[in-house]
Amino acid sequence: MSQPNNATDDQRLYLAGAALLFGMAILLAGLAYVQVVTALEHEAEQKNQSRRTVRLPAVRGAILDVQGRPLAHDRPSYVIHAYLSELRHHFRKAWREAPHDTRTEAGVRHRVVGDFIAQLQLDQPFILTEGQLQKHFIEQLALPIPVMRDLSQTNVAWFMENAWRVPGMDVEAQPHRHYPSESVAHLVGRLRRPQSIPDEERPYNYRLPDFTGATGLEHTFNETLRGSAGTKSLLVNNLGYRQREKIVVAPTPGNNVVLTLDLKIQEAAYKAIKETERKGAAAVVMNVQTGDIIALASLPVFNPNVFIPSIRSDLWNEYREARPSPLRFRATQERYPPGSIFKIISGLAALEAGSNPTNFVYNPGYAKIGRRRVDDTAPPGHYDFREGFKHSSNTYFITRAIETGAEPIITLGNQFFLREKTGLLARQEAKPEFPTLAEVQNRSNWQDGDTANLAIGQGPIAVTPLQMTIMTAAVANGGKVFSPRVVDRIMPADPSRTQEARQFPPADVRGTLNVKPENLAHLQRAMLADVADDDGTGKRARIEGFAVCGKTGTAEVRNREGRHKITWFASYGPFEKPKYAVVVMVERGASGGLSSAPAAKKIYEALIARDNPNSIAGNR
Amino acid sequence: MKFIKQLIPWHRLDRTLLLSLAGLMTFGVLFVYSATYNNETYTGAHWLRMPHYKQIIFYALGIGTAFVLCLRDYQQTARWANVFYWLSLIMLVAVLIPGIGSVRFGARRWFDLGVTQFQPSELAKVAVVLALAQFLSRPPKELKEPKVLLKALALAGVPFLLIFMEPDLGSALTLLPPALVMLYVAGAPRGFLRRLVGGCVILGSLLLAYIFFMPKDWQPIQFPDYQKRRLMVYFNVDYASQYAGAGASQAEISQARALQRQDSYNVVQAMISVGSGGLTGKGWKQGIQNAHGYLPRGVAHNDFIFSVIAEESGFAGSTLVILLYGGIIVAGIRTASQCRDRLGRLIAIGVVTLLFSHVFVNIGMNIRMVPVTGLPLPLLSSGGSSVVCSLLALGLLQNVRLYQRTI
Repeated sequence: MSQPNNATDDQRLYLAGAALLFGMAILLAGLAYVQVVTALEHEAEQKNQSRRTVRLPAVRGAILDVQGRPLAHDRPSYVIHAYLSELRHHFRKAWREAPHDTRTEAGVRHRVVGDFIAQLQLDQPFILTEGQLQKHFIEQLALPIPVMRDLSQTNVAWFMENAWRVPGMDVEAQPHRHYPSESVAHLVGRLRRPQSIPDEERPYNYRLPDFTGATGLEHTFNETLRGSAGTKSLLVNNLGYRQREKIVVAPTPGNNVVLTLDLKIQEAAYKAIKETERKGAAAVVMNVQTGDIIALASLPVFNPNVFIPSIRSDLWNEYREARPSPLRFRATQERYPPGSIFKIISGLAALEAGSNPTNFVYNPGYAKIGRRRVDDTAPPGHYDFREGFKHSSNTYFITRAIETGAEPIITLGNQFFLREKTGLLARQEAKPEFPTLAEVQNRSNWQDGDTANLAIGQGPIAVTPLQMTIMTAAVANGGKVFSPRVVDRIMPADPSRTQEARQFPPADVRGTLNVKPENLAHLQRAMLADVADDDGTGKRARIEGFAVCGKTGTAEVRNREGRHKITWFASYGPFEKPKYAVVVMVERGASGGLSSAPAAKKIYEALIARDNPNSIAGNR
Repeated sequence: MKFIKQLIPWHRLDRTLLLSLAGLMTFGVLFVYSATYNNETYTGAHWLRMPHYKQIIFYALGIGTAFVLCLRDYQQTARWANVFYWLSLIMLVAVLIPGIGSVRFGARRWFDLGVTQFQPSELAKVAVVLALAQFLSRPPKELKEPKVLLKALALAGVPFLLIFMEPDLGSALTLLPPALVMLYVAGAPRGFLRRLVGGCVILGSLLLAYIFFMPKDWQPIQFPDYQKRRLMVYFNVDYASQYAGAGASQAEISQARALQRQDSYNVVQAMISVGSGGLTGKGWKQGIQNAHGYLPRGVAHNDFIFSVIAEESGFAGSTLVILLYGGIIVAGIRTASQCRDRLGRLIAIGVVTLLFSHVFVNIGMNIRMVPVTGLPLPLLSSGGSSVVCSLLALGLLQNVRLYQRTI
């Protein structure tokens, strides 16, 4: 049986052995190719199927008033999250136990979550719908689902005590934008959901709710406020359930924006115009020496809180269709005829053109230009500059304007930059209207009647309340026309990041009035008289111990909505050492003296109370 | 003591073989554990049901069987070769009978023994190697006779057909390399071998053509659909071209594509597992593919155990596995070359070729070199029949080493 092997047998054996080892070598080569040469590709594939990145929005910076009071800030809102990966077994169990003919996956899951929530015995309704839960399952399985939002403090405490009773639930604090005061809604603005996603952020699998500034300072300073988003990486299993998570890049909170605005004064101004019981109004308060805005109020307002997380469509339509529109910022975005407060300019222009303030003009109760007759609310009699001003006599200012022509008014108006925007707010400012010198010099188009209209603030002139405030401030401070400012500085949320802090320079003096000081003094005294004298039109703004100087105005408007009056009160104070300019504009008011001056008075009282914290306003 | 010393010639134990075996068994226990420790099927199960404990038990069982086998000279054992062979043929027939063989995954391959399943084809492969070695160990000049050669072919061909009918094409095909190599080493004429290999190639091509191109209604023998699909996955054939005709609607095409994704899922995930292991791997029990369910839990610890090893231990680990198998093969070739009788060398080369076929097909399918087939990786995959039968086969190899007549 056994016999010596010959050479061929050995050769065949070695060849066969070599073939086997060669086969092993092929395997090794194949493995080297897969595990070394193309390892990165497979690693990428693996990450691709098992990693989900989540964009974590940063806490948005706050908008603060000059005292550091929040006008807009992110405050914690407590949310109960359900972790679906931990509830899976319960879903499966419930699925097995459910009656087979009526069960649906969505229904069973919803019931399981609902039952657990019920076990927590919170006094808040469980509002998550089956549809929402199902949508989350399909789109964001790896993320926990928020099952109850805006938990009250009691419920948070209750949850903390009872959470052990239920699996897979956790309470988390999420930043929630909050606007404590409606009064500043237009200036501060509001947020909206971003409409498009920037390309560099597309690789994210999931994005947690995020907002971007839609209007106002929220929009202008969006980049400053929003901070930079972080990234969280989730490891998911083959079914898409979350297994582990890791924060790859922590979000950096946005910086705070500090304003020159004072919330107390803002609220007082808002309250004052609201108390006129008219539907549309605006009030502006400015420091006449620095050009800093202290208050910018507008009526009616919208509630910026309702835009978080998104506004209901019926409410949005209501906002859009309401008249007067709550979305318009009347202090800067709407143009009005100035009416008699423009006499501040036409009067000063007349003095500058050489008319003697003590010379009298006879007012028969009307002014006559050619065949046209303009009624005068001032009683018939003789008027000099001061009397004409404080009774707001149309006849006096029309007579003077026709004597000097329109050019001096235009020249002076240009020094107040009446044809240009103030530049305070990027997207919320209307371009004003004011004739050019060339227009009034074209005698074929510009008649005396036009000059007469312009002198009393009617005709081709439209201004914003903010512009009238700058004008009044320039009269008060001796001729400095400011580019006002409302943002004082940018402050990092984290005080150690000082390199991001930024102090804005004081307000620019845009131009200085080229007028004689004595003429300005005449005007200032006339404005004082308008309030201080018992027969002045602005007497309702008078405050004991605080000399308010002002000018009332009532402009007639005729438009589709019929005839109505825009009533103004442009003022500053105190007379001796001017500090504040306050302009109040009321749509459809009775008259400047009746509607606007009392509102201005209330604003001054608030300012006085602020500056003298130990005394009670108006009772010093 | 003396009794134990006389049991077997201890000094002739093959150290290379034993070291390689020990290494592979260590890998086996470690990674069967890693593949199943967070499998929900086994949470809270009795420890005897845990796959890694079962693996240890099967190792012990296999080593015990191999040891018993080594008590007797292989020349004596070989006299029983035909008995083993016929017994295994009976089992292969029995398993095809409904009620005796149990069906899993659409194939009738197992005897259900209650505590575990037994796969007769695993035992049959060892029996075929032994029977073939016995048959071919006759004087070389007899191998020139066509009658003898055909008989040898039938010896391998009958179990091949029986296993093929389970159906288990992959397992059946692993019989081919040992049969060929044994015929070659035994000294079958070149011309015959050439015709045999040529015949296999032609038959294989015809089979492929039949599966792919013959319309289903015309096929006299119906192959299970999954076999065709596995081949389509391997050759990366677009399902839409096969399952949805020219006038197919968008829905039909996307349905075909979805089926393709589903069918290629295992191999795609296996590739990702192996590839993402990189040079050094993610660490024991740190495999994401396995732990988070991307590698299907049903196969991770048996047919696809290599994916788990490769992902967690990287190229370093897979090289070590290859080297350990290589060690067994080298030990086998050395034994065969030192063995001065034909029976011994045929057993040795037959056993290592059988082992090689399994290793090559199994690891190959993990990296898409070979179509996917339900074939275990000897000694590493969890599963009793495979482990015990592999150890039985290696016991035969050791036996040859122990009792061979060297010059």
